[in-house]
Amino acid sequence: MTEWIVAARGLGFSYGSIVALHDVNLDVPAGCIGLVGANGAGKTTLLKLLLGILRPGTGSVWALGRSIPAEALAVRSRVGYMPESACLPPDQTAADFLGYAAELAGLPTQAARQRASDILSLVGLHEERFRHMGGFSTGMLQRAKLAQAIVHDPDLVLLDEPTAGLDPEGREEMLGLIGRLESFGINSIVSSHVLTDIERVCRWVVMLDGGRVLRSGPLTEISATGEVAIEVLDDPAPLAAALTAAGAEVEVKGNTVVVRRAPGDPFDLVRDALATTGTALRRLGSRRTTLEDVFLQGAGDD
Amino acid sequence: MTEGVVYDLGYRPHEGERLGRPGAVRALYRDGLRRVLGLRRRARAKALPWGLLAIAMIPAIFFVGITVFTREIGAEDVSFFSHAQYFDLTGTIALLFIAAATGELLVPDRVHGVLQVYASRPLTISDYLTGRAAALAAVVFSFMYFPHLVLFFGRAWTSSDGFGSYVAANAEALWQTALSSLVYFVALAPLAFLFAAYSKRLTLGAGAFIGVMALSTPVANALVEVGFDPAGLLALQQHPVVVKDWILGVRSAHLVPQQAGFDPWVSLAAIVVMAMLTAGLVMRRYRRPV
Repeated sequence: MTEWIVAARGLGFSYGSIVALHDVNLDVPAGCIGLVGANGAGKTTLLKLLLGILRPGTGSVWALGRSIPAEALAVRSRVGYMPESACLPPDQTAADFLGYAAELAGLPTQAARQRASDILSLVGLHEERFRHMGGFSTGMLQRAKLAQAIVHDPDLVLLDEPTAGLDPEGREEMLGLIGRLESFGINSIVSSHVLTDIERVCRWVVMLDGGRVLRSGPLTEISATGEVAIEVLDDPAPLAAALTAAGAEVEVKGNTVVVRRAPGDPFDLVRDALATTGTALRRLGSRRTTLEDVFLQGAGDD
Repeated sequence: MTEGVVYDLGYRPHEGERLGRPGAVRALYRDGLRRVLGLRRRARAKALPWGLLAIAMIPAIFFVGITVFTREIGAEDVSFFSHAQYFDLTGTIALLFIAAATGELLVPDRVHGVLQVYASRPLTISDYLTGRAAALAAVVFSFMYFPHLVLFFGRAWTSSDGFGSYVAANAEALWQTALSSLVYFVALAPLAFLFAAYSKRLTLGAGAFIGVMALSTPVANALVEVGFDPAGLLALQQHPVVVKDWILGVRSAHLVPQQAGFDPWVSLAAIVVMAMLTAGLVMRRYRRPV
């Protein structure tokens, strides 16, 4: 049975006359979840509703099996949040602030200090732990923000644009850290408008557009096209002809034959056509599209 | 350029106890103490609180030293000032201290976005403000009361009647000065919190608070002198003085609320009402989502 870490039914929220979320229905499983959408799509609003910082205008929302905002305090003791904007005091050392952040989540002082030290090592700030954070670079600040979000060993961490402002190397390191969270037993919801980041680390995607859910599902399903791509070493024409003769709709792109539609299982059809024509095969597999294509197509349809 | 090294030491989940909301409030309180006193911060942050504390303590220590010296040389006992007079000095210093401390407690959290971290922890707005106020109360109370303890026990130590006799005869001064210290905190801190809650800079909030407190007495005095007696309630800085004199049994007819004909209990009521009103406004300010 699937374990849902977040669920919403008819969830809506408005900032005055501006509708941020409208009739959102969601069931989000455990793991690393991507929350994607353009700026203003409602991603940050959804995260704040999950923390109980905002109260739903309509509908209901649950996190870790608890209703929000009724049980927001219980949820917050097991949830971490990395905001998009600055949230670190410049006049405190990383070690001091992280220990304090852990205590704020209810950890005893001694355990909080130990956790702070461990997590700073984990995010690569061990050698900077006694520096005031006012002197940190953007990359170090993002890591410190991630550290404060996981220092109390939460069950779920909400990451709002975690790679914002990072150079390519910093982005890679941040995505590497986020990708490891699941192995620590920490579920994550990663909000981003950079779709390639989501593709790198998430296995379930929620797409928001204009406050509505565009798509929600496993990344493999969302990016699957139902098409089969066959890359061959020889001339692809005989293979394409054989597939067409068998009733398939195909397209040839260089050395690749794409089966767009086929009667029955397309892989069986391809196997038979390859055997009949004697074509040498280099690669065969389901053709996947990028998240960006899916998003643009979905937003266009809407 | 690589800015740090990610060491793979594995991940150890926290399997110990979690103290929940009470633990979070205690953490807030302890952090508040550190902020107010500038502990674990740069030397600059320590200068003002510890400097003011030293200024508040010097008269008591000076008195004890002089008394010991005069006894050594066989001179007569000296008495520089009473507890009530000492409050007039420490009250002014407390005003400056509270102005700086409330800003330190509230402004950086808001300006640097740290409220977002609090909002993601098992804390309510009341918990946050209570933790901060409790830290300030502890420091201000100690700040105001400790010099009186030094003065009291210094007098007892140097008393010609003997330590025990002095303490027994003047024991009421201990609770009177404690209660008066509390009155000063309740009279000054909520308004200072209000200014800090709306200020984006430490100095602006502190300056506005000190300005309002300093101007309140001459403005109230001028209005009372032209016959508008209710303006006596506007002498914000003098209400704690009136109540303190009331507690210590000192007559202080020169104060504006009394010139306006108000009894000391009216000043006490004004302090309580003002504190409740400003606390409500501070709560309202923090109800906005971060």
